[in-house]
Amino acid sequence: MNGIDIGTGAIRAGTSVLYASLGELIAERAGVVNLGTEGCMLGGALGAFAVTVWSGNPWLGALAGGISGSVLALIHAFLVITRKANALASGLTVMFFAIGLTSFLGRGFVNKQIHGFEPISIPLLSKIPFLGPLLFQHDGLTYLSMLLVPTLWFLLFKTRLGVILRATGEREEVVYTYGFSPKWIRYGAVMAGGFLTGIGGAQLSTAYTHTWVENMTQGKGIVAVALVIFAAWKPARAMLGAYLFGGAQALQLVVQQQGYEISPFLLFMTPYVITLLALFLVARKQRSQMPEGLSKVFNGAGGG
Amino acid sequence: MSILLPVERRMGKPKWEVMLAPALVVLAPLLAFALFLLASGVNPITLYGTMLKSTFGDWYGFGEVVIKATPFILTALAASLPAKAGMINVGGEGQLAIGALAVTAVGVYLLPSVPGWIGVPILVLVGALGGALWASVAAIGKVKGKMNETITTLLLNYIAYFTIGFFVHSLLKDPASFNWPFSKELAGQLRLLTFSSASRVHVGIGIALILAAIVWFLITQTRLGFRIRVVGGNVLAAKRAGLKDTKIQFWVLIAAGAIAGIAGMIEITGIEGRLRPTTGMNYGYLGFLASWMAWNHPLWLIATSFIIGMISVAGNSLEMNSGLPASSVQILMALVLFAILAVGRRKQA
Repeated sequence: MNGIDIGTGAIRAGTSVLYASLGELIAERAGVVNLGTEGCMLGGALGAFAVTVWSGNPWLGALAGGISGSVLALIHAFLVITRKANALASGLTVMFFAIGLTSFLGRGFVNKQIHGFEPISIPLLSKIPFLGPLLFQHDGLTYLSMLLVPTLWFLLFKTRLGVILRATGEREEVVYTYGFSPKWIRYGAVMAGGFLTGIGGAQLSTAYTHTWVENMTQGKGIVAVALVIFAAWKPARAMLGAYLFGGAQALQLVVQQQGYEISPFLLFMTPYVITLLALFLVARKQRSQMPEGLSKVFNGAGGG
Repeated sequence: MSILLPVERRMGKPKWEVMLAPALVVLAPLLAFALFLLASGVNPITLYGTMLKSTFGDWYGFGEVVIKATPFILTALAASLPAKAGMINVGGEGQLAIGALAVTAVGVYLLPSVPGWIGVPILVLVGALGGALWASVAAIGKVKGKMNETITTLLLNYIAYFTIGFFVHSLLKDPASFNWPFSKELAGQLRLLTFSSASRVHVGIGIALILAAIVWFLITQTRLGFRIRVVGGNVLAAKRAGLKDTKIQFWVLIAAGAIAGIAGMIEITGIEGRLRPTTGMNYGYLGFLASWMAWNHPLWLIATSFIIGMISVAGNSLEMNSGLPASSVQILMALVLFAILAVGRRKQA
């Protein structure tokens, strides 16, 4: 085992979290926290798996995963935006709902075999020493996520749409004054976020593991929400955070393969502990960069 | 608290909506779930009948509801108390688990021959300490790092889950368990007393009700409770009034952890007798739901905990009678909460 293997493993394990973080990032930039990320991921994982089983086409599966994530996010959007429910409570309920729903609907899919996404070596590029095996021997969804990071950065910070989206999260009055509806922008952002999160779940079931297991996200959606804070609501830093989490997971596999006598449970918890530590180290500083619209939720004034 | 909040436009909603809201909150989820049941080929009317019969049909069934409701009341309090201070504690899950872990470790290895009247109170304290310790991580993060407690407590739940797994597979594992992951059993005198032989109901429900009454009294009748509500209502106003808001939030989270830890103690000494990897799993989340269903009111949540306890017990019969997996009950619970969130905050209790 060497650095390249751990690096490749970090990317493989971190991609699902990356999608979810980017999805959450879009929603939060528009001023809506969605703790239902965990549920959207689970929904995406099952939706993608089911459609891949039926159609044999993992791309169709990933699309279905995205749609599943969007539908679950729509519930959250309706409760928070239209009914003005507490965002954290609503997100948790979506999470809880999705755990129940997916374990119910997913019963028949346990132990099913699929032909999911397989790694594709990109000609020429994959021959570059070190970088080749690290970056250019992944599955389609992973490449897509790598392209998504700069795309999302461009959309958010260099386009009119991005300005409107960010303004919705910061000062909705301004958006309103300019003749846009903050409400529908938020709906759009939450559902687009749910779509990406759903694809994150799809990556988990159709590319990373090729299986469906009840509650298989194991808190990765929550980690994604934490990583958005770590990332200071910036796509590239979300990528860093996701690969950090993925790296801890990859390291855990390496340690197990090497036959060290460490309890697997201690290894399982490491990525979560690292996420918590990363959050602690940056949280104080990051608050100044938090979209204004979120501070109400995060300061607890919206609780009770 | 309502005085401190900005007046909402929804104050003026039509009278029929106000009247219908509570009925709607109960009926809409049951109807939606009935459609779901029909789609899975189960007759909802028969099933709701069976659910009622299995929970209120006889004393044993009702006793099971009481047993289930007990930890929910406590984990609901662990969500309700911080909610009064404007915080969302979803960590009841992990706090309960670590409380249960501490109680098992101390009970099995330090107190195996201590008489029950000394041992049980010690274990209550140990459970409370375990839960408080786990909550303190989130509390310190909140105060020192300004970390949002919802996210930290959620992450801590997963860490707690793996911590329990670690201990039941290694240090606490019963050597006579044939490799099944569970701890040694607690000595008989440390188990909670049961009231009669007709059901498994034990004194834990008394502890839960007393704690609910204490929290209610603290919140509504004391100066400290008033301060907590001010912090929860408007942090800015609290600061201007010279209240140490972070200090109050810190100790409220610790207290919530202690209450959830006691739920872990009751689960071990009252029901399970030993620690398993699944001890108290989902109890924290279900308590959270119970608390939100009751608009975080420390006494109303007793009623909603009973409802969730009933749905949980009925869930087991659901599995046996209709072939639906127990997880389908989670769907019903989530539907109930969706309805509550959609109807909106009726009052700021």
